[in-house]
Amino acid sequence: MTAALTLESVSKRYGDFQAVRDLSFQVEKGQICGFLGPNGAGKTSTLRMILGLQPATTGRIEILGADDGRKVRDRIGFLPEERGLYKKMTPIDAIAFFGALKGLPQAEGRKRARDLLEQQGLGAARNKKMKELSKGMAQKVQLIASVVHRPEFVILDEPFSGLDPVNQQGLEAMIRGLAADGATVLFSTHVMQHAERLCDKVVLLARGRKAFEGTVTEARATSPRLLELEGEISTAAVAALPGVSAVEHTGGDEVGVRILKATLAPGAGGQEALKAAFLGGLDVRRFELREPSLHDAFIGLTGDHPDQDTSTKALEAAQ
Amino acid sequence: MNRILLIAQREFMAYARTVGFWLSLLAFPMFAVLGGALPILMQTSQPVRQVVLIEEGPAASGLAAAVRDSFARDRERRLENRREAQEAAEKAAGSAGGTAASEALNRISGPTMQFVDVPSDLATTPSGEPREALARRYLGDEVPEAQQLDAVVFLTRGEEAPSARVWTRRATDDAVEDVVRAALRDAHRRDVFQTAGIDPTVVSEMEKFRPEITALSPQSASGGEVSFRDRLPGIVGLASGFLLWSLVITGASILLNSVMEEKSNKILEVLLSSASSTEMMTGKVLGVAMLTGTVMLVWGGIGAFGLLTTFPQTAVDIGSVLLDGGLIFYFLAYAVGGYLMYAVLFAAIGAFCETPRDAQTLMGPIMMILVVPILVMQMALQTPDAAIVRILSWVPFFTPFLMSARAPSEPPMFEIIGTMVGMFAFALLMIWLAGRAFRAGALSDVKLSWKSFASAMLGRS
Repeated sequence: MTAALTLESVSKRYGDFQAVRDLSFQVEKGQICGFLGPNGAGKTSTLRMILGLQPATTGRIEILGADDGRKVRDRIGFLPEERGLYKKMTPIDAIAFFGALKGLPQAEGRKRARDLLEQQGLGAARNKKMKELSKGMAQKVQLIASVVHRPEFVILDEPFSGLDPVNQQGLEAMIRGLAADGATVLFSTHVMQHAERLCDKVVLLARGRKAFEGTVTEARATSPRLLELEGEISTAAVAALPGVSAVEHTGGDEVGVRILKATLAPGAGGQEALKAAFLGGLDVRRFELREPSLHDAFIGLTGDHPDQDTSTKALEAAQ
Repeated sequence: MNRILLIAQREFMAYARTVGFWLSLLAFPMFAVLGGALPILMQTSQPVRQVVLIEEGPAASGLAAAVRDSFARDRERRLENRREAQEAAEKAAGSAGGTAASEALNRISGPTMQFVDVPSDLATTPSGEPREALARRYLGDEVPEAQQLDAVVFLTRGEEAPSARVWTRRATDDAVEDVVRAALRDAHRRDVFQTAGIDPTVVSEMEKFRPEITALSPQSASGGEVSFRDRLPGIVGLASGFLLWSLVITGASILLNSVMEEKSNKILEVLLSSASSTEMMTGKVLGVAMLTGTVMLVWGGIGAFGLLTTFPQTAVDIGSVLLDGGLIFYFLAYAVGGYLMYAVLFAAIGAFCETPRDAQTLMGPIMMILVVPILVMQMALQTPDAAIVRILSWVPFFTPFLMSARAPSEPPMFEIIGTMVGMFAFALLMIWLAGRAFRAGALSDVKLSWKSFASAMLGRS
C-alpha cells in the first residue's frame, strides 16, 4: 500500500508549551485512521500542521506526495473542531462556495450540494438560511461542504462532538462511504467507541506523544483480558487461579455474594482459570471473559483517561 | 486568483444583498439634501410674529421708531447680502444656479416679524399691573385668533439708558428680544454720540459703511484678482482628503467587522484550509474595495447630477480641477494606498477578535492617531506648504489624506513621488506583516493585546 500521509519526528512548540513531541506515523491510502487522545493531547495542532495551517517546529510531514498540505489543499477536505458557516447563507450556497474554493465549478457544486443534502435528509432545508438550521443540521451541512469536491484525503477534527446518537450513526455511515469511494480518512476523537467501529488503524496520542499506532485489534491486545466472577468467593481464591495476575473487588457484599474482576496475565486464556475454579469447588455463579476495549487499551497505554482534559489550560484552571 | 475573486465576490454580495446597505447608500445623499434644505424649511415654516411696541411715558418717546428703524436696517442689510450672494452664485454657476440660489435665499431672508398697531384697550390702559395683565391676555388664547399677538414690548427710558420688558407668547422665543436689544443699543449709542456733540447723520453714515475688498494674488488665473475658481482646487483637495479619510475608515471598519464575524462564527479556520491567508485577505480587501467603490460611484453620480442641475458652471470647474494635471489619478493612487494600509491592518486586528470590545485595545489608539490628519488637513487648505503639513505628509499613515489635500496646491514633485513611494512601500510591508498576523490570529484564542499582535506580526506566535 502507498502512504497517503507520513509524519516523521514532528514536534510543535508554542512558546514554552510543547504541544506535540516527536510524532511519527503513517496512514495508507484508503484507510480510515482514528487519531485518538484526550482534549489537549495535541490532536488539533497535529491536524493543523498536516493541513499546513501551522508550521511544525521540527520534523517532516508528507501528504498526498506533497511536503506541505497547502500545496494539495484542493485534494483535501477538512472539518474543523470548531464549526461554523456564514449564518446568512443558505446550505446550498455555502456548500457551492466552499466547493468552489477547492476548484469545483459553481454549477457542479450546486448540483452536488443538492444531491448530498437530499441524501442526508436536508433537502427541505437547502434554501433556508444557516441560522435557521439546528446544530445537527448545520454540522451535516458543514461536513458536506468539506467533502463536496470529492477529496482524496479527508481530515475530520472531532466530527462526532455535538451530534445526537442518530446523527452520529449517520456520520459513521458517511465516513464509511467516503472510504468506500477511495478517500483516505483521518479523524480525531476522544470517544473510543467511534474509532472501534470505524477505524482500520488508530494512532493514540497522550500529552503530545504517540502512545500507540496500529489496528484496533492490536491496540486491544496491548491490554490484558479480564475475567468477571460472581459468587460466594474470596479474593485470595480467585488470585490463586492460573493466569490471574490481579483481582479487584468491584461489587456485591464483603461477605456472601461478591463480584470480582480478575486481570489475566498476557497470553493467558480464561479457560484454565474457569476449569481450575470448578475443580477447586469455588462457588462461581457467573463467569464472564471480557475482551479489553479500546478505552481500556488507551488507559493501559497512556495512563490517561480519554475524556480528561490534559491541556495546559485545563491544568492551569485546575490549579 | 480564482479564490481571491470568489472571496471578494462573497464579501461584496454579503453586504450588497442587504437592505441596510442600499438604505445607507441612499441615506447619505438624502440627508445631504435634507441638511441643505433644513435651514430653508425651518425659516419658511416660521410664522411672521405679530409684535406690538408700547412706549411707557414721554421719556420713551422715539424708542418704538428706533426699534422699527433698526429692524428695517437689519433687513436691508440682509437683502444686500442676498443680492451679493446671488451675484456670486451667478458668477460661479451661471444663470440657472443663480436663480436656484436666489430662490433659496429669498425663502431664507423673508421677514420674521411684523409691527402692528397697539390694540386700543392696551394703549389706553394705564401702565402697571392692569396693562401687563391685558398684555398677557393678548398673548394667550383668550382673545380671538385674529387679535392674538406674539410679542408685546414695553419700552422705557431711564436716567441712564433705554430698557424694555418683552412679553412673548412662547418663553423659548427670543427673536423679538434680540431685535429690541440691538435697536436699543443703537439708540443708546446715538444718544451718547449726540450728547458728545456728534452729528446723528455722521453716525448713521458710519453705520452704513461697508468696505469694498478685492483679493489679489499673482497665483490667480488672471494674475491679479482672486476668483472662486482660483480657490476651488484647495476646496476640492480638502474635500477629497476628507472623503478619502471617511471612505478608508468606513471600508477598513467594514473589513474589521467582517473578519470579526468570521472569527466568532468559526469560519476562518475552514477558509484557511481552502485558501492561503494572503488570498483570503486580498479577496476580502478587494471585496470591500468593490463595496466602497460602489458607494463612491453612487454618491459621486448623485453629487455630479445634483451639481450639474443646480450649479452647472461649478460642476464644470470641479471637473477641470480634477482633470488638470491628472489630479484625479493622484487621488485614486492615494485612495488605493491608504485603503490598503488601513484595510489590512484592520483585517489583521479582526482576526484576533470575536467582538468589538476585543478590538478596543488596539482600535482606540489607532483612531486617536487618525484624528491627526483631520486637524492638519484644515491647515493644509490655507498653508499647504507649512512645515508641519509637509513633515506629516511623509508619515505613511497620514500621506493619503494630507497629500490629497495638498495636491491641488502643486507641491514639489519630489514630495509627490517620495511620499507616494513611501506610502506604497509601507502598504506592501503592512500587507506582509498583517498577513502573518491574520493567519496567526485566525487560529489563535489568545486575547488581543499590543504584545500578542506584535508577536503575531513578527511571526513569533
